[in-house]
Amino acid sequence: MNSSHTITHRQLFFVLIQSQIGVGVLSLPYTLFAKAKTDGWISLLLAGIFIQFSILAIWKLCEMYPKQTIFDFMPKILGTKLGLLLNILFIVHLFSVCIVILILYNNIVSKWIFFQTPRFIVIIILALTCVYCITCTAREIARFLMLVSPLLLILFFFVGYAYTDVHLLYAFPVGATGIKTIISTSTDALIALLGFDTALVFLAYTEGKSTSKLKAMSYTSLCVTLFYCFVTFTTYIFFNPVEIVIVPEPVLYMLKAFSFKFLERTDLIFLTIWIVSVTTSLISYLFFTAKGVQTLFKLHHHKSAAPYVGIICALIASIPGSKLDVQMWSKTIGMTAMIFSALFPILLLLIAIIRKRKEKGAAST
Amino acid sequence: MILKKLLLFFSCLVLLSGCWDQAQLNESKLIRAAGFDYTKDGKIKTTAAVPQAMSADTGTGKVFNEIFSAKGNTARQSRIRLDRKVSERVEASKNLIVVFGEEAAKKDIYHILDVFYRDPKSALNARIAVAKGKASDVISARFEETKSSIGIGKYLSESIRAAEGASTVPAENIQTVCPVMFDPGQDFALPYLVPKKNAVSVNGIAIFHGYEMVGKMHGAEAVVFTLLTGKQKTISMSLTKKISDKHKDKILNYASIKVKRNKRTFNVNVSPDDKISAHIKLNMKVVITEYPGDNLTSKKKIQNIENALTKSLTKDANIIIKKLQDMNSDTFGVGRKLIAFHNPTWKKLDWNKEYPNIDYTASVKVKVIGHGIIE
Repeated sequence: MNSSHTITHRQLFFVLIQSQIGVGVLSLPYTLFAKAKTDGWISLLLAGIFIQFSILAIWKLCEMYPKQTIFDFMPKILGTKLGLLLNILFIVHLFSVCIVILILYNNIVSKWIFFQTPRFIVIIILALTCVYCITCTAREIARFLMLVSPLLLILFFFVGYAYTDVHLLYAFPVGATGIKTIISTSTDALIALLGFDTALVFLAYTEGKSTSKLKAMSYTSLCVTLFYCFVTFTTYIFFNPVEIVIVPEPVLYMLKAFSFKFLERTDLIFLTIWIVSVTTSLISYLFFTAKGVQTLFKLHHHKSAAPYVGIICALIASIPGSKLDVQMWSKTIGMTAMIFSALFPILLLLIAIIRKRKEKGAAST
Repeated sequence: MILKKLLLFFSCLVLLSGCWDQAQLNESKLIRAAGFDYTKDGKIKTTAAVPQAMSADTGTGKVFNEIFSAKGNTARQSRIRLDRKVSERVEASKNLIVVFGEEAAKKDIYHILDVFYRDPKSALNARIAVAKGKASDVISARFEETKSSIGIGKYLSESIRAAEGASTVPAENIQTVCPVMFDPGQDFALPYLVPKKNAVSVNGIAIFHGYEMVGKMHGAEAVVFTLLTGKQKTISMSLTKKISDKHKDKILNYASIKVKRNKRTFNVNVSPDDKISAHIKLNMKVVITEYPGDNLTSKKKIQNIENALTKSLTKDANIIIKKLQDMNSDTFGVGRKLIAFHNPTWKKLDWNKEYPNIDYTASVKVKVIGHGIIE
């Protein structure tokens, strides 16, 4: 691998942050509330702890097979045939994640800003931008993702402004829904936190000590969990528990009411910045997918796979039209994504460890 | 090569399009004030004010208020009908104020407000108020100030803003009112407008229970009401109180104060046999802005005034709370406290029946911290 393609562990931190924070943040409080009521933010914290296991698994896997992406080492762990099959399945999963990002993005953009614009146009604009962004090396992608990171502070500030009109009492009583519901809701929270799995490909490019890589990954997950938790909790004390049930994008709705002396409709500004966050998540996942396609077809460069990946995603993403279709797609893909991104690495690690032991055993006898 | 051409084609498509979602200002009429009334046959009448700038040769532009109105079975239907009457497209995205006629407010304001909450373009930060009589009368009235310089929406909105500064009305807009409106454990109050001959007077507050208006309060009461909501401080939270009967010259019996700091402690307790009691304690630091009796030199004199103010304000506060209980409007949120801290008790209760009977009191403590530049 060319040395100018590598990234540092600091860059890894920003890459993962940008992949994790994305399309989910707007509707997350609503989805969590639907099950765990005002305790949704606790579920989120729990989910943050759960994903730490997946992160550990991913890190360990990449440590065992340094400088290799998941598509390179999967055949080594599972054998050529099974490895190929799972590689294909994993690529399909990545396609579906890209598609669901585009679907949800279009869903919100067409509901809040572009009422008339055909959805294919809204989707293809984003897809092509991302395709262009991933035609370069991992280092350049990391630099771009790092460059746009300060924008997250603006999102933070806007949400924080809600504290001028909150009702702290709405968050009480804490824990009224019971531990069982809180834990079962954390699976929904997990879906929103996905994005750390892009480490499966970006870790191959990361230089430096392996502990500092783990640190970067863990800090990412901590930061994102806390940020999401902050957003969720803020909406819970801004909206009445009875009201939040009818507001699917509480974060935007909350901002819609704020006006500064020189600024009105802060929700539109928030959306503009949020689109950047969506773009960065899509960039990471498209890069991941393109890498997979590259390995699968043994291409010389992932660049040649990128446009096809982008256009296929855009075409499929413009299929679902009604709100219910969108819900169904995002729910199904959310579940498969959770299995592939969060559970699969753990499983893969277990198999890898057992294999290594056996090989050692075989070698010693 | 083909790929490059394709990319070029798509970028052209992208760059040259973008004409789907446009709302041009010269093709739309901006509503700045909207009023809602129920007609006798149960339909909703929407009245909208659209200020039009008249070009004048002298340079100072005059504003002419165009008033449109239409009826319909729902708020949206009446808006659509309004749109048909007007030559250009009607836009409510820059709306400043929504006014409800008293009769409409007494029915259910959420039924009308739904369209504001649902429309992504609507202005959620518009103020909201109740008018005496019909909302259409307030919107279409020709007040002194609206004849020349400003539109009716701006005028009403500014009047209410001034009242908010003086704490005679709580500061609310369409969005801030929403969580409280939905809350089973809390109610809200809105500014109450009375149209006079050539000005509008914001002379009190309309008290709500759930989605319906249940009563009103006037001037001085409204200030104490705002203080009881726990509002810290506004530009000029002022009160004039009678503090003695001794003087023959009536003016000498009064003192005016300006509230500098207002600290609220709000306790809700449930006794073991499920009796609910609530108590609001206000700690006020005030400055005397008018006291013709003078001689504020001695400590004792100031203490006397403090005591008199404490007594009379406590009395006022308790009267207000009694009134609110009679109206069954829980504007300070006793129920909300119960939900948060005494959840098992709350679940057993029928709050609408329980609230008027709970033991609910208030006490005010006044401390004078200044008296202007003379003693």
